[in-house]
Amino acid sequence: MEEQKKPSSLQIESVAASDNKHFKVPVDSEHKATVFWIFSFAAPHMRAFHLSWFSFFCCFVSTFAAPPLLPVIRDNLGLTRTDIGNAGIASVSGAVFARLTMGTACDLVGPRLASASLILLTTPAVYCTSIINSASTYLLARFFTGFSLASFVSCQFWMSSMFSAPKVGSANGVAAGWGNLGGGATQLIMPLVYELIHNAIGSTKFTAWRIAFFVPGLMQTAAGIAVVALGQDLPDGNYQKLEKAGDKHKDSFSKVFYHAVTNHRAWILALTYGYCFGVELTIDNIIAEYFYDRFDVNLRNAGMIAASFGLANIFSRPAGGWFSDLLSKRYGMRGRLWGLWLVQSFGGVLCIILGLMDSLAAAISVMLLFSVFVQASCGLSFGIVPFVSRRSLGLISGMTGGGGNVGAVLTQLIFFQGSRYSTQKGIALMGVMILACTLPTMLIYFPQWGGMLVGPRPNATEEDYYAAEWSQKERDSGCHSASLKFAENSVSERGKRRDPSTTVPVDTTPSHV
Amino acid sequence: MARLLSTQATALLLLIFCVGSSMGSVYFSDLKQNLIVTASPKPGQVLYAGEDKITVTWKLNSSLPASTDAAYKKVKVKLCYAPVSQKDRGWRKTEDNLEKDKTCQFKITTQPYAGSGSFEYTIDRSVPTATYFVRAYVVDASDTELAYGQTTDAKKTTNLFDVVGITGRHASLDIAAGCFSAFSVVALLFFFVVEKRKAKK
Repeated sequence: MEEQKKPSSLQIESVAASDNKHFKVPVDSEHKATVFWIFSFAAPHMRAFHLSWFSFFCCFVSTFAAPPLLPVIRDNLGLTRTDIGNAGIASVSGAVFARLTMGTACDLVGPRLASASLILLTTPAVYCTSIINSASTYLLARFFTGFSLASFVSCQFWMSSMFSAPKVGSANGVAAGWGNLGGGATQLIMPLVYELIHNAIGSTKFTAWRIAFFVPGLMQTAAGIAVVALGQDLPDGNYQKLEKAGDKHKDSFSKVFYHAVTNHRAWILALTYGYCFGVELTIDNIIAEYFYDRFDVNLRNAGMIAASFGLANIFSRPAGGWFSDLLSKRYGMRGRLWGLWLVQSFGGVLCIILGLMDSLAAAISVMLLFSVFVQASCGLSFGIVPFVSRRSLGLISGMTGGGGNVGAVLTQLIFFQGSRYSTQKGIALMGVMILACTLPTMLIYFPQWGGMLVGPRPNATEEDYYAAEWSQKERDSGCHSASLKFAENSVSERGKRRDPSTTVPVDTTPSHV
Repeated sequence: MARLLSTQATALLLLIFCVGSSMGSVYFSDLKQNLIVTASPKPGQVLYAGEDKITVTWKLNSSLPASTDAAYKKVKVKLCYAPVSQKDRGWRKTEDNLEKDKTCQFKITTQPYAGSGSFEYTIDRSVPTATYFVRAYVVDASDTELAYGQTTDAKKTTNLFDVVGITGRHASLDIAAGCFSAFSVVALLFFFVVEKRKAKK
């Protein structure tokens, strides 16, 4: 086999003699793509990307399909403000545990089956939203539909499995950003569909909104089927096939669980994510009403303002991921950590300012700037998550994602339920909480790369860190080979100064065993 | 000199008044209850949207001087929410400023003012389940409210009736929801089975 001189971005053409795989994109030793060509559909990497972001987008559309139609739904079902608030909290709380379960499922059965199952099993909740008739059934419909937001975890896990370290931040950021876009798009799609059905077809108001719900339902069904039919777990194949061939070690839940919950970085990221993504979800639920009540804009304009907050995701979250990758090139993991802390803290400051704005134009401007920073923080967070663990990547992605939803639930309960705080005071206080809950980023420390305030330990290596998740016995039987490969490829997180060349040494070229 | 000033002052005041009344909003508390309005539903009666009818009658309070209604041009009769249906629902809130008031959201009829009148209204299918009363505003040529009348008392507690709205549900929707849900789950199971078979090979 040819052993060429490797260029510095680990672009290695894999010529595995055993299964003659030629990838359409450049890949590294784990066959993860080292480039991110957004407009390509090449299987398996870019196809996975498109399936992933689109199915996640559909889940967001379904989960937030009700809020823009509330003026009609609340009269049809006789909802009170309390009912609406409770359902809003329910819609984001289901995903807390669903995201944890999803993480484990990804680790055990792979992102393709895990996400397709979740997406297809939650579609009944979306279809059944058409036949609800009371406040309690409304709450249940939103609660179960909200479970689909756990597809975020499989989306990120899938991207982390398909894309190499220098590109994983961008891939995660774009996939999640374009998925989150659904929360904004739905504020435009649902009223449009409703008006079409109500005006063009002539159905009465209370029937038109019910029919409208079939649109997100059908989108979600189609997306779920596409994922399971066209997707692939890993660059080399699906989990089941690889496990049968002995190319992938089948892991146990208890081990995966143990290594996730004992990793302090996972808990810190769960908390900080609660105060970027959680804040984003909270704003999705309350911002239209805020502009409607405080600045007297009409409902349609309030909806458009609300939509623009979510639509900023098309570039701001990807920008966060891309920025994380950029910082990592120069400063390594420490750069990623500083980037997260700075961007998220500035988002917190903007949030405080938003609550204090008295004029409509100022409030909209601050809100748009705030949306960019808060969503970029989400992208920056998932530039770090893929490195926290290799063995328990799924569960840790789940913990972080779940933490996001916990943040949304807590924030809505503390600041936006009942009449203890006016909405503007709630927004300002939420900003203070963002600042406080972002500080723990300073406590994240990787022995081989360092933390925000402390440098790396002199002889710590990536191999030590990732192999430590496996017992000696497991290491002896070679179960941890995937982790070792990942460790090799993650050396780029040292940044430019420590390691001038990130070439993989010739004697550890992936041999074709 | 004083005469000139007082003329100017009066002119100014009139100007402000005219501008004010054409630009400013009308406040409900400024309106007089000059109409007597009655509606056919008995207190506590339950009516069904899309099916039942309400007959509304209105007339000027006969104890008022004859010139009271000189400026009255049209009557606008509306279906209004009772306080019990406004509770915990900010989108139905009563505001004194009639431009912002959300109490009366359903138009029963608009007719030229003729001293008295009546109308038979079939409750529209978009009227939701709630407790209601009927109110009629008289407006002038520029559509500004001048006076009103309502079927209930000032506290809006007496003589209220209920409307049960349509559900909007249809059997076809129920069936479609069931079918699509089943299809999604079956599709998933289908692919699972295919996977298992492939793995066995």
